[in-house]
Amino acid sequence: MKKRLLATLLCAAMAVTTLAGCGSDNSGASGNTADSGQTAQQSTDTGNGGQAAANASTEANLVFAWWGNQTRQERTEAAIDLYSQQNPGVTFDAQPAAWDDYWSKLATSAAGNSLPDLIQMDYSYLEQYVASGLLADLTPYVDNGTLDVSNVPKSLLEAGSVDGKLYAIAAGVNAPSLLYNKTLMTELGIEVPDNMTIAQFEDICKQVYEKKGIKTDLPYGASDNYLPYLARANDVTALFNKDEKKMNMSDSTPLVDYFQVYQDGAEQGWVIGTDIHAELQNNSVEQSPLVFYSSEASQAWCAFFWSNQMEAMQKVADEKGIEIGITTWPSKDPKKSNFLKPSQFFSVSRDAGANEEAAVKVVDFLTNSVDANNILLGERGVPASSVVADAISPLVSETTQEVTRFINDVVSPNCSAISPAIPDGANEVYDESNKLVDKVLNKEIDAKTAAQNLFDKGNEIMASK
Amino acid sequence: MGKKKQTLHHILNTESAAGVICTLPFTIGFLLFMIVPMGISLYYSFCDYNILTPPVFSGLKNFQKMIHEEVFWTSVKVTFKFAFISVPLRLVFALIVALLLFRSTKMTGIYRAMYYLPSMIGGSVAVAILWKRLFALDGVVNKIFMAFGMKEPISWLGNTKTAIWTLIILAVWQFGSSMLIFLSALKQIPVSLYEAAEIDGANKWQQFWKVTLPLLTSTIFFNLVMQMINGFLAFTQSQIITQGKPADSTLFYTVYMYQQSFQFGNTGYGAALAWVMLAIIALITWLLFATKKLWVYEGGF
Repeated sequence: MKKRLLATLLCAAMAVTTLAGCGSDNSGASGNTADSGQTAQQSTDTGNGGQAAANASTEANLVFAWWGNQTRQERTEAAIDLYSQQNPGVTFDAQPAAWDDYWSKLATSAAGNSLPDLIQMDYSYLEQYVASGLLADLTPYVDNGTLDVSNVPKSLLEAGSVDGKLYAIAAGVNAPSLLYNKTLMTELGIEVPDNMTIAQFEDICKQVYEKKGIKTDLPYGASDNYLPYLARANDVTALFNKDEKKMNMSDSTPLVDYFQVYQDGAEQGWVIGTDIHAELQNNSVEQSPLVFYSSEASQAWCAFFWSNQMEAMQKVADEKGIEIGITTWPSKDPKKSNFLKPSQFFSVSRDAGANEEAAVKVVDFLTNSVDANNILLGERGVPASSVVADAISPLVSETTQEVTRFINDVVSPNCSAISPAIPDGANEVYDESNKLVDKVLNKEIDAKTAAQNLFDKGNEIMASK
Repeated sequence: MGKKKQTLHHILNTESAAGVICTLPFTIGFLLFMIVPMGISLYYSFCDYNILTPPVFSGLKNFQKMIHEEVFWTSVKVTFKFAFISVPLRLVFALIVALLLFRSTKMTGIYRAMYYLPSMIGGSVAVAILWKRLFALDGVVNKIFMAFGMKEPISWLGNTKTAIWTLIILAVWQFGSSMLIFLSALKQIPVSLYEAAEIDGANKWQQFWKVTLPLLTSTIFFNLVMQMINGFLAFTQSQIITQGKPADSTLFYTVYMYQQSFQFGNTGYGAALAWVMLAIIALITWLLFATKKLWVYEGGF
């Protein structure tokens, strides 16, 4: 009798500990949120954080999520380590991810009310996130001096604002960039001009293929980049019409150019096909056929990326003794197609709660601290703060100097305004486009059919939103 | 106070108290992490929900959308093809290996562990990546074929006809758990039956068909049901190795569901897909059970 009672009690004790184990986590979290709600309220009500904020900033564990390559990961982690040293009590939980995974992960955390405190945000997603109330308004912190934006150009602040409120601080400036194997092109005696037309570009592709058997890597799994770029040359600056729930064009003609490049490549044999891409991670610098190949048949002379990825690409290329060059993406009207964009932003999430002030301080650190940027060295793009950009310019690598020159001298004088951010449903249309690219590459359909299919399917998807 | 103590004492001493309390951690976990999420998912399946903004009730819209969606039907076809080819193959393979390992020698233990290993690690990301490399253009599989005189490497993963087969072979390779179940069932067949068969003049082949197989049918049935369910829910292989490519030829239902839920922001539609999958699996399982009396022997030995 006694024994049984004892056993029962022991079990009960075990059960309670187990439950307490997961329970305490929960209550802790919900406690936090409650706190945070109050803190946030206080700080917005009073205009400055006051005491609550001071308390919050002394001790915090900040979750910081970003997408990007290996170089970015190393430098960002070094920079936040420096911050932890200077601000004892502030620790970081770094969560780097690849671009594709990053947004699924972020959306899931948003649904679970557990967004990272600090978020690296992209221009194309900013509007959706603000509309859903997922980002903290940074304007009060600018007003009370926690966040210093005095050296950030007005245009970049506007890009990070929605309806007059600041939600995101630009980390740098970026432009679409064709990265190419300069060593190879010198060897072959081929000149790669800036602002190439598609005809000029295809001519180079053919020459390289005929002389060396080396192919061309057209954007793969990346319709979100090159499709709108070429549509801009046809005066379609926004692909989607959110209000009327359709594609923002009267027929499929503006989309044909995009698929035509792939069709030409497939017919003339110089494009890297679906077979090779089946084995690579899309849009990864480290796995780009420009630097990652086993033979001429899987090697490319160029790859479609962004200017801030040149540094990472050069780092990988160094191992193969390749020098990387940079120019614009080919388009029949480069001036209409080209644009400058804030490479990415730093935002503070709604779920930061009690950590909000602490997170804003880190954004200020990353934006204004010369020490931090001496580590980051413009890897995310030319720094937004002009003071910081000047301070680090003697320190940055030759590659980054080349990127700065490219942005200032090649793209800036010859570009148009950036397209509006994409609405809900756009990613599904882009995915459809990626599938159609596969079919064109495998010569199952021609460019005109692909454009028509995309136009029809796109209208259907947008209508369902 | 005293009375309360008395009652607590009383309750703790009843027959079921120990059982209830011991299973409490699991029960609570099950309710919290299975039943509640399932309820939420059922609600989402009737909503317009893009994960970022709160769900809005939309009735049967998600289910109607499915019927008109071409990709949905493609993914159903791919999943059926995968399950109906890989599961029987896996079971046959598992049975053959179980029969081979049935005779005990000194090495049997090691062999059993070795053959079981793939099913423990088979669903993992690491093995999926390894598989991707094996079937790469410059992978081992092509190297072997080329050593035997093949001229050009085959793009196993890039071809709509071959890609699904790399996934099927991976699934068949993970035959370990079925094999272990077969092994234990084989051990339970009384030796006397084989002796009797031998006296009647049956050779090994006849013994297998007339004694072993009929007595294994209930085990085969169990394995079939379990593996079918697993087959329909396969995700990792396709997500890591092919992401549904090329041209949706390896787009498993679960991968389609993942894409819709988390990549395209059609989370409500994704939830609806999950419930349809549940119905499909329930139907298949029911069908299997309905055929049970036709071929499964459930009598004693």
